[in-house]
Amino acid sequence: MKFLRRTFDNLSIPVIAVLLGLVASSLFVALANVSPIDTYQRLFCEGFGPRGCETFGDLVFIEVENEDGSLQTVFSPLYGSGGSRIALILEQITPLILTALSAAVAFQAGMFSIGMDGQFVMGAITVAFLGYALPDQIYMLAGVSDPEAAPEALKTAMHLIVPLICLSAAMAVGAIYSWIPGYFKVKLNVNVLISTIIFNAIAVQLVGYLVNYPLRSDLNNIARTRRIDDTAWLIPFNRGIFADVEWFSGARVGIGIFIALAAVALVWFYLRRTTAGYEQRMTRGSSLFARFGGIPTDRAALRAMLISGALSGLAGALAVLGVERRIVDGFATSGVGFEGVLVAILAKESIIGILLVAPFIAGLNLGATNLQFGDIPRQLGGIIISFIILFSAMEDFIRARLTALFKWRPTRQRSAPDGEGAAA
Amino acid sequence: MTSAVEIQHIRKFFSSSQVLACDDVSLDVKKGEVHAIVGENGAGKTTLMSILYGLVTPDEGQILIDGKPVRISHPNDAIFHGIGMVHQHFKLVPSFTIAENIMLGIEPNRAGFIDSATEAEKVKQLAESFGLPVDPHLRIRDISVGLQQRVEILKILQRNAQVLILDEPTAVLTPQEVREFLTVVRSLAQTGRTILFITHKLAEVKAIADRVTIMRRGRNVGTHDAKDLTIREMANLMVGRVVSLQVDKSPAKPGEVILQAERLLVAGAGGIPAVFDASLELRAGEILGIAGVSGNGQTELVEALVGMRPVDEGQITFLGEDITSATVRERRLSGLAHVPEDRMTTGLNLTTNLDENVVVTNYQNEPYSRRGIFQFAAIRRLAQEIVDRFAVKSARVGEDIKTLSGGNLQKIVLGRELKGDPKLIIANQPTRGLDVGSIEFVHKTLVEERDKGSAVLLVSVELDEILALSDRIAVMFAGRIVAVLDRSEATEEKLGLLMAGSTLESLEHDEAAAEKATPV
Repeated sequence: MKFLRRTFDNLSIPVIAVLLGLVASSLFVALANVSPIDTYQRLFCEGFGPRGCETFGDLVFIEVENEDGSLQTVFSPLYGSGGSRIALILEQITPLILTALSAAVAFQAGMFSIGMDGQFVMGAITVAFLGYALPDQIYMLAGVSDPEAAPEALKTAMHLIVPLICLSAAMAVGAIYSWIPGYFKVKLNVNVLISTIIFNAIAVQLVGYLVNYPLRSDLNNIARTRRIDDTAWLIPFNRGIFADVEWFSGARVGIGIFIALAAVALVWFYLRRTTAGYEQRMTRGSSLFARFGGIPTDRAALRAMLISGALSGLAGALAVLGVERRIVDGFATSGVGFEGVLVAILAKESIIGILLVAPFIAGLNLGATNLQFGDIPRQLGGIIISFIILFSAMEDFIRARLTALFKWRPTRQRSAPDGEGAAA
Repeated sequence: MTSAVEIQHIRKFFSSSQVLACDDVSLDVKKGEVHAIVGENGAGKTTLMSILYGLVTPDEGQILIDGKPVRISHPNDAIFHGIGMVHQHFKLVPSFTIAENIMLGIEPNRAGFIDSATEAEKVKQLAESFGLPVDPHLRIRDISVGLQQRVEILKILQRNAQVLILDEPTAVLTPQEVREFLTVVRSLAQTGRTILFITHKLAEVKAIADRVTIMRRGRNVGTHDAKDLTIREMANLMVGRVVSLQVDKSPAKPGEVILQAERLLVAGAGGIPAVFDASLELRAGEILGIAGVSGNGQTELVEALVGMRPVDEGQITFLGEDITSATVRERRLSGLAHVPEDRMTTGLNLTTNLDENVVVTNYQNEPYSRRGIFQFAAIRRLAQEIVDRFAVKSARVGEDIKTLSGGNLQKIVLGRELKGDPKLIIANQPTRGLDVGSIEFVHKTLVEERDKGSAVLLVSVELDEILALSDRIAVMFAGRIVAVLDRSEATEEKLGLLMAGSTLESLEHDEAAAEKATPV
């Protein structure tokens, strides 16, 4: 009974938040002279549904035509003709999970760092450069003049080692880039929020410069770096092992998603099971308490900043190594870092919560971008998402209303004395 | 006598914390009486008064003023109905003068410009008409806490309050100021005003209250004539069982020197020195009490001793080792325990569970963690041990502690700090805000630790506590230790004067003069 109530409580609030967001944005949808219901079906179908999804019902079960013309009802998430939207979501959440973890680790040390964007692009530019420069060096040392003709053994070794070095380098760069504002905070009491915003701007401009000048590879209209070597590439499933699986077609999801999931497990273990994670959580929970207990608070906060930066740097590296394979001008302003902050806040910094919120946000984004294919202005998608996020953030308010509505007073007996108080 | 205020069947449930703060409380306050409201922490006294003053809206029940039902949903309504409140923490503007504070918001003006001369004159008249003289031109930051309280009272009298609510008015006063305050309360009652005051100190209830209402767990468990109840009876009613108010303790057997502080200079907030030239010595098996009015450098001194605040000059020696610049962890490892002033933010982390709270001083050591990874079984055993040994009611291993009462929270702090038999226990206001039953427990525990051979440094602003527990007493005033007395030479009178800034020499001089003046 208690469990049921808690489950109902935990589920009802996000659902109500989404519904309220949809109701509120109906005003704008109506202003655009389209039907709200159609718009929402479209949004969710394009975001989460299979090919041919038209109604909310299709999100769960959809009728498809077999080769012989007969109709068959299938479970939508598994249906992958022409590529599953879920595979696309997996592609999108790979960096999103990592930047959200990055934000959560920083927040759980009391450092309100939103420097994920900066660390992300710094990690990305690092591997965009190393991704071709490092193999070049190896080929040169090995005396191979034509990479195509390199010995198989060397290529196999490089396929294993180059991505590993690239990822480590990106994590190191991200970590250092996050450590600096952390150090400013701890030693000079510089507001982390402000310093990380500045550091984001610096990183974005720096990467823009690098892509346009020193690392520009050709005279393509839009400046871009050289494509990374094949040995650095983390080949997506649809180009590699699952090339003939329909479900994956069109989605550049690869080994990165497993790295992101492993990061989820590791971060959870770090925060909940290790003394180092405890130190940073106590530092945040109540800094006076941590100092009173003898916890080295500065060290704990700086450690959190290092881990946070490494995660964002890793996200940037995976975006380049697994998806983009190069950096094109404008990449730096993609905002994956900031979306990670958003996911972390909506998930209330819960590591498990991030796993639930990230796909939801990624799906909504997907749906919003694809709204235009249904003659619905794309901008409406942005408005709807914003409203949903706004209402999700109102969780406490919704909870209070719900409580008032049902007059739940589950623990009344705790404070009401059992008869003896009334006697006197 | 007619009723000034009638509170009928008030009920207030806080859904956020799931606490039923007031459960069908009724109260009848007669015109012109001094009515005390006593009860343990969390008994609902402050909630009830906040409802009367319009700060909290009740779920059920009604309030009658002079027999007529009224709706009070904002302090402005309360003031309109002649109810004024003096909060425990004063709400005065430090840089304004007394007159400016009293007339704040109702300044007499001439064409929109404040007429300071009239303002001061009005305040002067008001003050004199109530026999509470003040100099209207003094600034709040320059006057004593006792005088500030007088300003607060004048402020609500200026707004024509007939019912005065005073929330723990004597908590911040020196004994001399308390005596003066009690006279003021009496004289106000004689002008026909009604005084409702919340207090923890039962002796004050006996001294001035006409009637007393005792609250326990959100209920009014009885309103009595104050003269019909003894202090012991009131304490028992508050707690709901028989409590011991005396601390049983044998004479101290001081041993070796445990802690030595020499000429400490410690900066407070903003870098301004808060402790000057403070020296003290503490031996095993004794309790050294530090008396003083709150804010005279005690907190900074304690923080410097435990390592949470840097020492600018001087030296601290603990068990023969210089620890002046040692970290908190190093000091704790060598046997220092600290019961901090604020258990809610410093002593405990209320956002997490019991286990993570009890392990904070020891988490990096075996068996609680191995190679940086927690061993939860050992931590749970530790938590259970503390819960059992100190009988922490309603605390459960692995569960949150934020809903526990102050007394139970303090038991958790004590349990953690006393684990592993510390050599030195520094306790800063260990019973602040606790109810009678919990105070009894804390006192007993500290004396037990002393008898086991620990050195105890007890900082308290409660003179009763200092006198009941200490073997020696140091008095702090304006950042200096102005005197160290043996318990046998200390009297409440003497300590009170020292706490207010007198020196031992001047006291002796006065005594000598008094003797001379008295013909033998």
